[in-house]
Amino acid sequence: MEHDQQHMTEKSVLSREALRDVNEIALWAGAQMMASGAETDRIEETVHHIGTGLGAKWLDILVSPNAVVVTSSSGDEFRTRLRRVPVLGVNMRVLDRINALSRQITTSGMDRAEAREELLQISHLPHNNPFLVAALVGVACAAFARLFGGGAADMGITFLGAAIAQYVRYLLNQGHFNPFLITIVTAMVASIIALAPRSLGLTTSYTAFLSSVLLLIPGVHLINAAEDLLKGHLVTGFVRGMLGALLTGCIALGMMIAMWLLQSPVI
Amino acid sequence: MIPSPTLEFFLEDIFWAGLATLGFAVLFNVPRRLLPACVLCGAAGHVLRQILVVIFGTSLEAATFGGAILVGVMGELLARQQHAPAIIFQVAAAIPLVPGAFAYQGMLAIIRLPAVETSVIGPFAEAGVYIIRTGLILAAIGGGIAIPSQLFRRRKPTRD
Repeated sequence: MEHDQQHMTEKSVLSREALRDVNEIALWAGAQMMASGAETDRIEETVHHIGTGLGAKWLDILVSPNAVVVTSSSGDEFRTRLRRVPVLGVNMRVLDRINALSRQITTSGMDRAEAREELLQISHLPHNNPFLVAALVGVACAAFARLFGGGAADMGITFLGAAIAQYVRYLLNQGHFNPFLITIVTAMVASIIALAPRSLGLTTSYTAFLSSVLLLIPGVHLINAAEDLLKGHLVTGFVRGMLGALLTGCIALGMMIAMWLLQSPVI
Repeated sequence: MIPSPTLEFFLEDIFWAGLATLGFAVLFNVPRRLLPACVLCGAAGHVLRQILVVIFGTSLEAATFGGAILVGVMGELLARQQHAPAIIFQVAAAIPLVPGAFAYQGMLAIIRLPAVETSVIGPFAEAGVYIIRTGLILAAIGGGIAIPSQLFRRRKPTRD
């Protein structure tokens, strides 16, 4: 009886071409997850589920700081491919859809063509409207100003600085500039707007200066670094943590440049 | 300065922390159906930290760790309920816990250092304390969020 059950769940051996498709689809999903802010463990788990769900016997996944390698095997055959992931961004909509895709493949038996079509759609998912994002980021940073004990004037200045800075960041991102440069320039723009009323003698508060750059905090890098380190993925963990630290340093640099430009005294 | 522990203070804290979380969730392109859960998570984590600091007099480091653990646990529970990755709820909710004021004080202290005589200890100590506390709080956020997922998602590390 036990032997029978084992025989029933035994997978048929995939052809070399079919195995190539499976490897390609699983790797593409992994690369999209990495580019959208997933941590190493989740990438490995999801890629494995997708690959075995599509018929491979086993998948080995290597997530390096800027590339993913997947080897799928079935019978005596195996296929390996590497895909580079040059930009580590954040897009939770992609993570949500790939999570759903992985579940569909394992539970309702989605085939390879459908999975590929879904991944193509996911790769073209739109981002939120940039003006809406800028406005809500401004509101979020104004809320921080309030949490830091600021008044209505601080909140207003913070809203303006953060919203404009977010739009500037969006434009720079569209131009594919270096991420460190984008962070420095964005922090500088936010700080100049937030410091200007103080330089003109309209206020004595520094709350807006401190709140309006918070949109740049590399939260996803820092949290993924902690998750990766705790789960034993030390290389990706260290790289993510270093990236977070460098980007935080870039925020400070942008703020300093703004202070020098506006001749604002260091308090 | 420690504010008085009135109900209004905490309700206001919930409101602003929730609003901050919403803004970052939209920035991170969180799907619309998951936004309310993100806001809930962010407001809960931040208000727990404020309760620990204001009522129980906990250090900001320990209180942040408590808030982050709540964010981590809620993220995992919401992930099961909503069938979505936990990180979606956790990342936006972690942002209000970031110690912006300490990081800022540390940065200003470092800017001042080049003009300081080495025989004067004060400015160096100030820079060190703020930078170390910022680092500790960031570690508390990362650790606090990552630890609950170790309890929720476990796997046998073997092949076949």
